[in-house]
Amino acid sequence: MQLIIEQFPIVIRSLNIGFLQTLKLFFVTLIGAFPLGLVIAFGSMSHFRPLRYLSRFLVWIIRGTPLMIQLLIFYYFPGLVLGTPIWGSGERGRFLAASISFILNYACYFSEIYRGGIQSIPVGQTEAGLVLGMTRRQIFFKVKLLQMVKRIVPPMSNEIITLVKDTSLSRIIALQEIIWAGQSFLKGSQGISGAIWPLFFTAVYYLIWNGLLTSLLGYLERRLDYFK
Amino acid sequence: MKKLFTKAAALAAAMMLSATLAGCGSSPVSSSDASTPAESAQADSASSQAADSADAPDTDSADAPGTDNTEALGTDGADSDMDYVKNKGTLVVGITDFAPMDYRDENGEWIGFDADMAKAFAESLGVAVEFVEIDWDNKILELDGKTIDCVWNGMTLTAEVTSAMECSKPYCNNAQVIVVPADKAADFQDKDNIPEVSFAVEAGSAGEAQASALELAHTPVTAQADALMEVAAGTSDAAIIDSLMAAAMVGEGTGYADLTYTVGLNDEKYGVGFRKGSDLAAALNDFFAASSQDGSMLEIAEKYGVQAALIAH
Repeated sequence: MQLIIEQFPIVIRSLNIGFLQTLKLFFVTLIGAFPLGLVIAFGSMSHFRPLRYLSRFLVWIIRGTPLMIQLLIFYYFPGLVLGTPIWGSGERGRFLAASISFILNYACYFSEIYRGGIQSIPVGQTEAGLVLGMTRRQIFFKVKLLQMVKRIVPPMSNEIITLVKDTSLSRIIALQEIIWAGQSFLKGSQGISGAIWPLFFTAVYYLIWNGLLTSLLGYLERRLDYFK
Repeated sequence: MKKLFTKAAALAAAMMLSATLAGCGSSPVSSSDASTPAESAQADSASSQAADSADAPDTDSADAPGTDNTEALGTDGADSDMDYVKNKGTLVVGITDFAPMDYRDENGEWIGFDADMAKAFAESLGVAVEFVEIDWDNKILELDGKTIDCVWNGMTLTAEVTSAMECSKPYCNNAQVIVVPADKAADFQDKDNIPEVSFAVEAGSAGEAQASALELAHTPVTAQADALMEVAAGTSDAAIIDSLMAAAMVGEGTGYADLTYTVGLNDEKYGVGFRKGSDLAAALNDFFAASSQDGSMLEIAEKYGVQAALIAH
């Protein structure tokens, strides 16, 4: 116990740096995947067949392969196959590659949730809009969009909370997020070696952050409750 | 969006191409476009080049008849790996946190016997040094993918390593040792009579090779440190790790005070790995010889307590 108290400040500082990286990846992924998911959703619903097939093919590939493999392919393939590492060296390059992989992966999952949300709006509303002389664009933005947002909050919450934990997969390309930081004290880092507790302690960070997110998303859901 | 699809398409083309290259063996070492830093622009041109050569293999390699796609991607040998590193001005060293070879001091600076030698070698080349922590399982991927330029981290020269990398001459002696709880150490003193218990070893390590050779029941884990954790947690009865690491990490005054290490299973040597065919390995051998003669290598070794294991050049 005495040992843990001595190690605590050093470990916490290291875990904080790691968790900052985790959060950075989390926010960058959300910012990228929210709009990209909508674009892919429109692609999957398009009446233009090649675009629809292409979108669904992309979703099939991304959802059908493990995110871990996607990370490895995105990070190593440019250098391995094309002979030029495109991501730049060091931690920054790893973060960039991880961001792109995560954005694409989550955009595909989001796109299916969006599609479900959009298609769940009764077709009668579209017909009524057309009768009233609205354009399809107006019908989507003025009638359907907010109803869709309300309906997709619960499944999106699921994905967002999963994303927090999935960021730990980026350790496969040696992105130094919080799990990596916790593990480093096992083999020895900053004078501490063989400490097992920092790795388990990382769970506290995830738990607190997901607690905050859960209440935030619950609040959002209640605010959107006026659509019955 | 369109750009993304283009990228995805380029990637798919690259994947197909790599399948066709699988039989070629050696990976591209030098690259004709390695000298300029405009990385993303190059990637685009390289990818279109790759796509082109997939469609019509002859167009890109017209100057070298009979070459395959690997050549089209730039293994023309005009630029050596040394030139590649010098042009970009940085030697990127792949490491793991591994005392006493590579580890961080209180200021977060990388130190250790390997780290200090790498700094001196980079200085002799006239380039900066950059240390990058890697996942040990991916060291060959990292080298061939050019995300690092060398693996310099107390790497045991196994057959797997020497066949996949251009290795320097050995510079340090090592052995694989058994780590067990101190109260069971008495049972593990004879190499020819090891009790049948469960061992934890690092996947792809020399320790795993020893466990297989001696037909010991073993579980592969991701790092040597994880193997120690297995023993500490009691999920494995013993671990097989490097003696230099065991000396630094188990026993009195360490995080694993209840563990100890016993019999050495073999003799082995540490070396530095570069990309296959790289001329940097020869340059490092010269550097080792020079620093061995002027005593600077011994000086650094004494600083980290590894002088007894040092191999003179």
